[in-house]
Amino acid sequence: MQSSLKVKLLEVFRLRMYFFMSVSAVAFFLLLIQLVNLQLVQGREYQIKALRNRENYIPIPAARGDIYDRNFTEGEKNVMIVSSRPSFNITTIPAKIKSEKELITVIDILSRLLKIDKDEVLSEIKNLNPWDRVVLKEDVEFDTIVKIAAHQERFPNIDWEDASVRVYNSSEMFSHVVGYVGNISFDEYKRLKPEGYRHYQKIGKSGIEKQYDRLLRGRDGYVRRIVDVHQRTEGEEIGMRPQAGDNLVLTIDYNIQNTAYEAMKDLKGAAIVIKPYTGEVLAMVSKPDFDPNLIISKNNISIVKKLQTDAERPFLNRVIQSRYPPASTFKLITAIAALETERAVPEKSYYCPGKFTLKGYKDHDFYDYDAHGTVDMYWAIAKSCSVYFYQLGLLAGPSAIMRYAEDFGLNRRSGIDIPGEVEGFIPSRQWKYKAFGQPWFDGDTVNMSIGQGFVHLTPIGMCNFVSAIVNNGIVYRPRVVREIRTNDNSRVIKSFRRERILEIPLNLLTLEAVKKGMRLSVTSGTSGRLGYLKVPAAGKTGTAQTRSIRQEKYSQHAWFIGYAPYEGPPESAVVTVILVEYGVAGAASAAPIAERIFYKLNELGYFTSAGVASKSL
Amino acid sequence: MIISKDGLSKIDYTLVITVILTVCIGILMIYSAGFDPINKVNSGIFKKQILWFIFGFIIMVGITLLNYQALGEYSMHIYIISIVLLVITLIFGRPVRNTKAWLNFGIITIQPSEFMKLALVIILAKYLEIRERDINRLRELIIPTILTLIPILIVMKQPDFGTAIMFIPILLTMLFVGGADVSHLVSIVTIAAIALIVPMILTYREWAGAEGSNFLLDFFKDVRLLLIVSGVLLFATVVAYVLHFFSVNKFLRKIYVPGSILSLGLLASVIIQNLFKVYQKRRILVFLNPDLDPQGSGYNIIQSKIAIGSGGFFGKGFLKGSQSQLGFLPEKTSDFIFSVVAEEWGFIGAIILISLLGFIIFRGIQIAYESKDKFGALLASGITTIFFFHILINIGMAVGIMPVTGLPLCFVSYGGSNLLMSMICIGILINIRARKFVY
Repeated sequence: MQSSLKVKLLEVFRLRMYFFMSVSAVAFFLLLIQLVNLQLVQGREYQIKALRNRENYIPIPAARGDIYDRNFTEGEKNVMIVSSRPSFNITTIPAKIKSEKELITVIDILSRLLKIDKDEVLSEIKNLNPWDRVVLKEDVEFDTIVKIAAHQERFPNIDWEDASVRVYNSSEMFSHVVGYVGNISFDEYKRLKPEGYRHYQKIGKSGIEKQYDRLLRGRDGYVRRIVDVHQRTEGEEIGMRPQAGDNLVLTIDYNIQNTAYEAMKDLKGAAIVIKPYTGEVLAMVSKPDFDPNLIISKNNISIVKKLQTDAERPFLNRVIQSRYPPASTFKLITAIAALETERAVPEKSYYCPGKFTLKGYKDHDFYDYDAHGTVDMYWAIAKSCSVYFYQLGLLAGPSAIMRYAEDFGLNRRSGIDIPGEVEGFIPSRQWKYKAFGQPWFDGDTVNMSIGQGFVHLTPIGMCNFVSAIVNNGIVYRPRVVREIRTNDNSRVIKSFRRERILEIPLNLLTLEAVKKGMRLSVTSGTSGRLGYLKVPAAGKTGTAQTRSIRQEKYSQHAWFIGYAPYEGPPESAVVTVILVEYGVAGAASAAPIAERIFYKLNELGYFTSAGVASKSL
Repeated sequence: MIISKDGLSKIDYTLVITVILTVCIGILMIYSAGFDPINKVNSGIFKKQILWFIFGFIIMVGITLLNYQALGEYSMHIYIISIVLLVITLIFGRPVRNTKAWLNFGIITIQPSEFMKLALVIILAKYLEIRERDINRLRELIIPTILTLIPILIVMKQPDFGTAIMFIPILLTMLFVGGADVSHLVSIVTIAAIALIVPMILTYREWAGAEGSNFLLDFFKDVRLLLIVSGVLLFATVVAYVLHFFSVNKFLRKIYVPGSILSLGLLASVIIQNLFKVYQKRRILVFLNPDLDPQGSGYNIIQSKIAIGSGGFFGKGFLKGSQSQLGFLPEKTSDFIFSVVAEEWGFIGAIILISLLGFIIFRGIQIAYESKDKFGALLASGITTIFFFHILINIGMAVGIMPVTGLPLCFVSYGGSNLLMSMICIGILINIRARKFVY
């Protein structure tokens, strides 16, 4: 009995030891399977992860190209409109920070040290791939870097890297021409990622900076660094050297830009100066403006937002992005339409009593600002006699006026190399019917013939119109970049040639008549101020009635369009278009600005034969 | 007779060589893990491990000379001394990372909880040997359970959940091998499971901030209701048991067995729910599921898996593992030393290490199986259980299939107490094997 129990117990014991043995074997087998899975099946993925752990790619920013004015001469000290200076950025790769708690702690300390918005940074980090480098603060002072470097244990995984800060040397003066750079937006990044754009880089946001971004930016290089968990460097090598961006030489003359800018100083509006023979823009000013230097840093987003919502719209380039009623400047088109359709001759005179009555179902009076007496076309242009053009417009008919306005490209974009251009608006009979449910009335024609009513044009469009008059119907594409050079200026990569965009077949006699009228305007008409210039100028003023949206002092836009010299070789001619928003009148507000510009152009020798040789292509 | 020299001739040299090889791998890895590639210096802790190994080896040889039966005779003393040491540690211990688990003796620091495992194995082996014939009775399980609960409660107080939990598999395995009724063991496990699951689910829901109400969970939340229900259940069970005592009715047994399991489990859960503080319950929860705390143990697991996975088939080479050398791998000399092996020596190195450890387990089971007496068999299987669970949990944690517990890998991880305890255990195993021939 005793021994049988013992045998039974031993049997149970041995059975259970076998069970124990099998459980151990199964457990070891499971470990083995997982090991095979990790090391052999997923080995490659984990190798990549290990690589990402220990490798730190520190970008070496490429120098962005400099921008010079048209007087650039190789090997000399030139006027730099835009340049760059070296600086430091504080960056981090969030995935390398051990825990979210640690990340928040580090950002918290940094936000106080660097004076950045903690929540903004954290929300930015949340929206990005954690392995992407995040710039926490740009353009950090060297002392701050030293502080962080000295306490690296308090700032785990916080890097600093070289960066270059864009410097806009003339601040506001070129703001609309060169534009500004800013942080790449999420949409831009998504679109441009295949082209090698990185989310931490800057991108041109407007103007030349945007248009020529691909040339200016160059290509960033990087340093490959082996780091430990505390980001201490164990070794490093240059993975790729940065490639500097190309430099640009503008067609804009710093001196003329300066003159135009100073002349427009306290005004709102637009000014453009162009050489019609090549399409080169010599000056382009839009007011109000902004200082690009203040808004390029990602830490200054609030300033950008404020500017964007400003009712004065300082970001708007009024030369190419705004439409205005052309007012009396449009009378030239009415004149051309009438002459070209042979419904009028310049010598025929009309009597102007200061009022024009349109006969119809119900008579309607159109007024002039003065009673001009008997005027022919030359005097009508010079004195801006509306009554004359009311009748001329009715003679020519609305279709002819619209057709010629369209022939001059006034409802199309010129294709200037600054982004964001809008086209002007020229009405049509169909449009009127669609918009108002009414046919085109004679009253509309009367209004249109003096540039009031539905017509709205851009200053750049008006500029091309004057260019066509000067060039006998040919218009070249306006542009602001003259040539592209390598970053060390040693080599010209591309030199732009003039590009014809319009060729309007016009009778030379027509052009002569219009030019004569414009000259008369300067010598004894509304543009009289320009008569005192040494260079013979020609021009036309305009004063557009407009609704006063805000409580402005004057509710009219002042225009001046003109060119000089009156009768010179076309290659020496310069066209200028001035628009002053809410000015007094074309003659009072816009013409003096043109006067100063022509004076400066003459002083710089643009009109002399020597100047022509050196200043044009 | 305490000391006998005739055992020497029957020393298990295969086991000794296996252990030496395993410890050498460990020392090499501790050397590698202690190397700082940036400053090109070694922290030198591998030297300490060598000293501990030499010391442990001498102790092992000494143990081999003893007759293991003496351990049984002094099992109560060993157990009490170990408990006292644990209590002293709790009072005078040096807190390291908020855990009071170490006793400082000037030049050396020991971790009494390591030795407690062996002490528990010895006293359980002795008890189960004495009670061999009656162990299939339920009431015989009460004393072993109490003997196990005492160190568990003390170690939890340190608090070191990893080590505390280790006592439970030791108890269950030894009861199993010792011949306890399997249905009893299953009942105990079920009661423990009910006792844990209810408060854990409640804590988890509270923590995760789960919305909405659930009839069952609302019931569990109400302590009084829970107490009443489990009390009524318990009372019904007792009535059923008493009735069963007077009239042998098989049907009544079907009521009171599951009834008692359920009522005891619920009662225990009420106790746990109300006695433990929220942070304690949360800690147990994190222990069971490290994903709840991804910044803490979750990070460690990820880095360990990267280290092991990136090792590939042949490994990155000695001192060339980027994960361990550059500090991405945490706790690389203790908890995650297996990951260093797998990273630097690849799949091949990991297989060799697992094979060596597997052989030690196999030999331990073999020694238990072949032992000439029940005490030796139970002692050997208890020791093997200690090794087995350390290896399973440590490597399982490193490869990401077990929760992070902070248990060392026997023979390999840096740590004097664990190495010394392991060497003593090996000494005992050799001792048992040598004496199977002596009658």
